[in-house]
Amino acid sequence: MPERAAPLQISGIDPEPLTLAGLVTGGAALLLFVSEECPTCALTMRNLGPLCGAWQQAGMSCTAIFEDPLDVAIRTARRCGWTGHVAAQAPPYQTSRDYGLISVPSAFLIDGSGAIQGQVTGWDQAALGRLVEHASALTAGALRPVPPAQPPTKPGCSSKAALDPELAAAIDAPAAGDELEEMFERGWTDGLPVVPPTTERVDKMLSGRDGAALLGSVPPAMGELTLARLAACAVLAGCRPEYFPVVVAAAQAALDPAFNLHGQAVTTQPAGQLVVVNGPVRHRLNMNTGMGALGPGNRANLTIGRALRLMVTLTGGAMPGTLDRSTLGHMGKVGFCIAEDEEVSPWEPLSVERGFAASQDVVTLIGCDAPQSISDHRSRTPEDLAWTLAWAAASTWSTNWWPLTEPSVFVICPEHAAMFREHGWSKQRLREFMFAAVRRPARELRRGETTPLVHQSDPAAEIRKWSSPEAIVLLVAGGAAGRYSAVLGPCTGMGYQIVSAEVEPR
Amino acid sequence: MTAGYVSPFDDRVNPDQPLAPRPASLAGLSVTLLDIRKNRGAEFLDRIEVLLRDAGASTHRAVKEIFSRPAALDLVDDVATHSHAVVEALAD
Repeated sequence: MPERAAPLQISGIDPEPLTLAGLVTGGAALLLFVSEECPTCALTMRNLGPLCGAWQQAGMSCTAIFEDPLDVAIRTARRCGWTGHVAAQAPPYQTSRDYGLISVPSAFLIDGSGAIQGQVTGWDQAALGRLVEHASALTAGALRPVPPAQPPTKPGCSSKAALDPELAAAIDAPAAGDELEEMFERGWTDGLPVVPPTTERVDKMLSGRDGAALLGSVPPAMGELTLARLAACAVLAGCRPEYFPVVVAAAQAALDPAFNLHGQAVTTQPAGQLVVVNGPVRHRLNMNTGMGALGPGNRANLTIGRALRLMVTLTGGAMPGTLDRSTLGHMGKVGFCIAEDEEVSPWEPLSVERGFAASQDVVTLIGCDAPQSISDHRSRTPEDLAWTLAWAAASTWSTNWWPLTEPSVFVICPEHAAMFREHGWSKQRLREFMFAAVRRPARELRRGETTPLVHQSDPAAEIRKWSSPEAIVLLVAGGAAGRYSAVLGPCTGMGYQIVSAEVEPR
Repeated sequence: MTAGYVSPFDDRVNPDQPLAPRPASLAGLSVTLLDIRKNRGAEFLDRIEVLLRDAGASTHRAVKEIFSRPAALDLVDDVATHSHAVVEALAD
């Protein structure tokens, strides 16, 4: 008389509990007990995983039951190509105990009545093949056989349920005090060390906000962004809790469909997402608008931009080399945040240009390439300086791809800005001068890849670098001394718009 | 152990789905040629279309609004409803 299978005390991805009765409705269920640390478990999942889809269609459900946390289970299963159900159990691994597990992997075949029809321990290709043959008699459809694999057999590892409680607790403890290494093991990083997002730190970041509140789905993997997950990204990035409203506004702007984060996240271009901060919040957070404004040194500037990028990389699944296909990338993809120096600027801040009051705290998102420095210490007229700034952008994106329709961002340093102030140049005048300055005959642009407009135009027709003055964004920031401005080339082909969002009022 | 940490991941993201079954022959099948609007993608599809017709398939052309956004659901539904197979011209 076959032994009855014990009820399952496991948790899966779906809110509905995984029950034995539910898993055997097709006639058979394969339960594969595994552990993340066990190489034989990985081998078994890799060999059987691709078959699970067909087996489940034929009537045998397949469930990998991990002796690990659910998030670890899901990532491990995905890495091993396991296409069946994924479940986890918490210490003291009661389901493993109920099934009398000594080692993992252990496979159990359960029939439609809930009786155990067979068990295989370790990786044993022949024995697993026989188990699946047996299962074929229980299901309506025939099951694809287990294909030959090397090695034919491999012993597994001890089940955590078989360890004494003290040893099991030691194994499950967070990396023996080395939490930073554990973050790397979990993949909760952009490649740099992070601050572990403990419940306490995330609660402080939320500061009483509802962590379950939903902000949307983050492309490209469309991970659901709760406020708690965003707070976890902010903690990982190193943000202080008072930065969080700015991070939230940046996330809201990034998730606006008009920004097309999907395209920006997966493109082979290098572009990152520049966060521009305007308003009094810059001072409340001690953001750097001055010396080294685009570089290292200021916690708020660096961590706000990094929190947004961690949201894209982790919650959104755009890790370089997986869904992020950027050929080279650039360091701004670690974090890219600038606070405008509104006090030094001769012009209205970017946020005011975009319809907000100067008293409002606003973030604005722009897709941007890495900064290219523009040195000019000798110009004595605003025309000369504007010409130099504009022509520095001539080779951004491509030497021949004219005109650019997406925004190019110029960060004007205070000494350069002072020249325009002294001569009464408005922002719009500078923008229109720069737009008009950079133009070349179509024949000179007909090299390699160029635009349809260049191809279609008369060879002598003048083609401009930008499609309109509005494709030029002007910001002011940087140290008081030194005549170095910068241009940040565009993210093109995305059909996106610059998006601004107000920071939640205090 | 997860207790004590808040994950930045949405762990409900599903694993990869298995590929659809591949047809043994193209003869008599309706094949959609999807132009995602990458530079010169249409030229590539023109050539593929000739080969598909030579193989006995009927062809249908569809165009995405822009290459850098996911296809509209209406377009996906239309392709799934009216085609046995689809060829996507991915890049320039």
